[in-house]
Formats: sequence, structure tokens, C-alpha cells
Amino acid sequence: MSGLALRTTRLTRHFGPLVALHPLDLEVPAGEALAILGPNGAGKSTLLRLLAGLARPSGGHVEVERAGRSRVARRRHVGLVSHATFLYPALTARENLVLAGRLYGVADADRRAGELLAEEELEGVGERRAGSFSRGMAQRLALARGRVHDPSILLLDEPFTGLDPRAATRLEERLRVLRGKRTLLLVTHDLSRAAALCSRALVLLRGRAGWLAEEAMAEADRLQAAYRRALAPQEPER
Amino acid sequence: MSHSGPSSLRRATAALLAVCTAAWAYLVWNAPVDAVQGVIQKLLYVHVPCVLGAYLGFSLTAVCGGLYLWQGEERYDRLAASAAEVGVLFCTLVLISGPIWARGTWGRWWSWDLRLTLTLLLYLVYLAYLLLRSFTEGSERTARFAAVYGIVGLAVIPLNYFAVDLAGGRAIHPENLGGDSLGRGMGAPFAMGMLTAAAAFLYLLVRRVELARLRAELLRRQLAASESTPSGPSWAT
Amino acid sequence: MNVFLAVLWKDLVTEWRSRDRLVAMAVFALLVVVVLWLAAPPRAAGESPARLAGLLWVTTIFAAVLGLNRAFALELENEALSGLALAPADRGWIYLGKATASFLLLAVIQALAAFVFALAFDLDLRPVALPFSGVAALGGVGLCAVGTLFSAMAIRTSYREVMLPLLMLPLLVPVLLGAVRATGALLEGRGIPADALRLLVVTDGVFLIVSFLGFDSVLDE
Repeated sequence: MSGLALRTTRLTRHFGPLVALHPLDLEVPAGEALAILGPNGAGKSTLLRLLAGLARPSGGHVEVERAGRSRVARRRHVGLVSHATFLYPALTARENLVLAGRLYGVADADRRAGELLAEEELEGVGERRAGSFSRGMAQRLALARGRVHDPSILLLDEPFTGLDPRAATRLEERLRVLRGKRTLLLVTHDLSRAAALCSRALVLLRGRAGWLAEEAMAEADRLQAAYRRALAPQEPER
Repeated sequence: MSHSGPSSLRRATAALLAVCTAAWAYLVWNAPVDAVQGVIQKLLYVHVPCVLGAYLGFSLTAVCGGLYLWQGEERYDRLAASAAEVGVLFCTLVLISGPIWARGTWGRWWSWDLRLTLTLLLYLVYLAYLLLRSFTEGSERTARFAAVYGIVGLAVIPLNYFAVDLAGGRAIHPENLGGDSLGRGMGAPFAMGMLTAAAAFLYLLVRRVELARLRAELLRRQLAASESTPSGPSWAT
Repeated sequence: MNVFLAVLWKDLVTEWRSRDRLVAMAVFALLVVVVLWLAAPPRAAGESPARLAGLLWVTTIFAAVLGLNRAFALELENEALSGLALAPADRGWIYLGKATASFLLLAVIQALAAFVFALAFDLDLRPVALPFSGVAALGGVGLCAVGTLFSAMAIRTSYREVMLPLLMLPLLVPVLLGAVRATGALLEGRGIPADALRLLVVTDGVFLIVSFLGFDSVLDE
């Protein structure tokens, strides 16, 4: 796949007569941080969940470096962090990570859990039940969970939702650190963070995608303006 | 797709059904009255063919469900759903005509004999299938769940056969209608009945699938109309 | 295989920490036995064992449905089920993990129910304890095999708790009839009839295989 982390070919998703995602051709180079923007219901989560292998496309393919077109193999190389944390409240933080490690076939799940707890600064609460965590801590644990198998592609679906400014800044810092070696796809409504972290932006509107100019990514204001232009209603004759 | 009138497939199956029904009615009318059972025996010319429709319906539902899971094409799901609705109709007729006939011959409305119980169980599976379809949210999820349920339901039919047999269900149901167990002149109406049932099934299936297709098209157009701008974002580059 | 063990471990640990499923199933089973005993009190000697076998299995099915309804309830919180669905493995193993956990919980309840049943209806199960356990296990496998699959479906429908028994019961006839026949024979002092055993084993096999394969589609979004 020559330097591409991910490629979709006419990727489509419909729910009965409703087309959630019109045929999408997307190429994401390895190591890129891509922002995916758009209003609610535009198909952003649908796209991410297709890429993560949670849903079967109605048409088209997703190819991922080192996994080809296989959906099961792809899940090994992709990590998903959503606004839902996938955590079991009755299990401790460590247990949640060990479970995730075992699900992904990680070699020494206990050791990996320890590593991740340290990286996300959660060692102190490793033995506390995840159900008692604040939103910020839960999101950190969710990020750790998404990374348990050290995926080369990290998909983040509105991870900043519900985070206080400090937690959000911390998450942004973490993503900045993770960004270099991995490919990041970030769905967010927070345009300033999108501009700060990502080099390109894809806008989805009613299931159709369009690119924003790369220069717009340099600054939050420019991104804001470009985004608004992209969403503006079209003139009937084009 | 717009129709100015019924499709050619619909016309063909309707014609086939009309011909079969006419022939069948003629044969049933002229069939000899059974010496032992009397006129009520003629109800069997309805009952037995309906059994074909009932089992054919569910088999088709399960197979189309399997095809949907494999290929992901919506038309298989439409076919599966339609076959279930047509099949349950035939199954209802079996469960109505059977007891009426039984009352007229054995004197009892119901007995837990093998075939009757089996068909009742099939009926329950049908109903569960249709309820699952109506209560699942999301058409794509509905299609998937229904397909899986259909396959399990089909697998259970032979298991049910052995189960009811085990529980002593083989009792009063008339043995299989081999050539010699039928009186003279009864073979033809039975055979015609099976053909007519198949034709009726086909016709109803065609109508039902057309309805499903029309509904899907209507939904598609409604969705398209509700979007004020049909195209996506205007991009700078 | 790892996935199977991980899911099984998770379900058992979670259940152990709260024990709410176990307690609910136990209390419910007890209530059913009491109600049955009140509604159909044991007559003097000459009580048909087959009828008692039927009552015992009805109790088991009710308790199983209750437990299976809860099997996926915990997976909805935080969308944990999607977390499982992300695993890069055959999703059938997730299914087996959950089905096995339900089976183990049900086994505990079956033992309890049998004990209370024996007390209430004056049965002596000790001489047939081993074959009885075998039949109970085979029946339990059938219940949990198909129940786990449908429980996963039921949580996505409008009438969750009602949906599961609706979907399960029409399909449980082979399990029920086979188990009742075998249990009845044991209570009468005979051996397990071979055809009942065969029916149970074949049904369990069919249910397990179809559910294992079908679970992938059920877990999809």
C-alpha cells in the first residue's frame, strides 16, 4: 500500500433506503493526523465504525496496511476510542485493561496493563472500580484501552466530549505525543483542537465528503471560516 | 420505476393461479365422496395443499435470510419477509382447516398428534419471526436478526419432528397418502391442489414483494425530498 | 480461545461481585416451585414422575429466561458490547464465553431447584444424582446456547424482556421434551432412554453451531 495507512474504495453504508455514507474514496498516508468534521448525523461515526470493523459496509472496501481487506485482521491494527468508554463499571481499571489485552491477544496482558496505567497516570487508581471514575479519568482509561494492542491506526470519535478544560488539554497533549508514529483520525466538533492536531480535514455533510484546503489547518480561525463555507447551502445551479 | 399497470410477472402468476384454481375446483367438485368420512373429506383438498404453502414459506424465508447474510442485498431480505407473511397465511389455513376436518371425522377439535403439533410449532416460530421483525429497530438490523432467526427456526423443524415423535405424538393422523390409500379419483384433485397451492403462493409472494419494493422506493423518495440541498459540502479546493 | 476465557472470566467475576443475577434467579426459581406446589399439590403415592419432571423443567426454563435476559444488560452500559465486538477474533468465541457463564449460573440454580423440588414433592434424587445431573446439564446447554444468541438480539429490540421468551420458547420444544422424557424415566427408576439422549445431544449441537456462526451477524452494527 506504499506509505498509506488506510484506503477506502467506494465505501458505502446504507440503512434500508437511507444512505448514511455515499461512496467514499479515501487515502490516508501513514503517520497523518486527519480531522473529520461535520454536523450531527452527517455520517462521521458511521465512517469511523466502518473503519474500525464494527459494521459491514453496504458497498466498497476498506484496506489497511498489513491487514488487506479482511475485517477481522483490520481490527488488530485499529484502535477505537469513542465517547462511550467500553469500560465495565464492576471491574477495576487494571482488570478492564487486562480484559482488553486478552481480547486483542496481547502477549503479557498484565504487564501491558501496568504500562498503560503508568502512561495515562492512572497507577494510583488501578485497583479502583471503573464505575467510580470521573469522566476525565474514564476517558483516560478508555484511551489506554483503545491502545492496549498498540495499533498503528487510532480512531477517535469525539473524545473531547464532556471533558473539563484541564482534562481536554491533557488529552490533546497525549494525542500530540501519540500522533507521530501512528495515524490518527479524529472526529471532533472542537475546531481549535482539530487545527492544533491535524494536518488535513475532511468534512461530511449528509453522508457526502469533501476536503478542506490544507492551508486552513494552520489556524483555528481559518479552519472555522473554511468549515462554515463548506456547510453553507449550495446555489441550485452549479 | 413507475408502473402504468400490473407487471408482467404479476399477470403471469395471476393467470397461472386462475387456471389452476379453475381446474382444481372442477376436480374437487367432481371427486367422489369418501365412503367413510363423507363430504367433509373434501376439506382435505384444501388442508393438505396449504401445508405445502406453510412449509415452503418458511423454507424460503430461511434460505433468503441466509442469502442476505452472505450477499448483503436488500432484495433477499424483502423476499424473506414476504415469504414469511405469505407462509403464515397458509399456516393459519392449515390450523383452521385441520381442526374443522378433525371435528367432522374424529369428533375432536384437536389432538396432539405429530403432524398437527409440528405445524402448530411452526406457526409459533412464524409468529416469533414476524414479531422480531416488527420490534427490531433499524431496517438493516431487522434484516440481519430475522435472517439468523429464520435459519435457527428452519433447523428446529426436523428437531421438532423427532421431539414430538418421542413424546408419543404419532397417533391419529392419517398416514401418508400413497397411491393405494387414496380412493379412485382422488389422486387428481390432490395433485391439482398442490399445484394450485404453489401457484397461489407464487402469486401472493409476487404481490407482497412488489409492495415491499414500492414501500422502499417511497421511503427513498421521501428521504430525498426532505433534504433541502441534495449535495454535500462545497469545498475550497 | 483466549477471547472465550477472557469473556467467561469477566462475566463470572462481574456476577460474583454483585450476585444480582444469581439471587434473582434463585428467588424466582423458589417462588415458581412454591407456586407449582400450591397450584398442583402432590397427591399421595402414585404421583406420576413424568408430570413432576415437566414441572421441574418449566421451573428451569423460567429461571433460565430470567438469567439470560440479564446476560447482555450489563453490556449496554458504556457500549461495552461494542468494545467486545472490536476484538480481532471470531465473535463466536465471545458468544461461547457468555453462553458458558450463563450455563454455570444456571447449573447452580438447577441444583437448588432440584433440591427444593425434592423436598416439596417428596422425591429422592440421590440414587439418580449423577445421570440426573447429566440430563440437567444437557438441557442447560440447549437453553443457554439458543438463549444467549437471542438475548443479544433482544437487547436491540423495543420490548427487551418480553422479546427473549417470545423468541426462545417456540424453539425449546426439542430440549424440553427430550429433557422431560429423560428426567421422567430417571424418576421412575428406569435408565435414560437412548432416543431422548440422542435428541438432546443433537439439538444442543445444532443450536451451538448455528449460534456460534450467527453471532457475528448479531454483533454487527
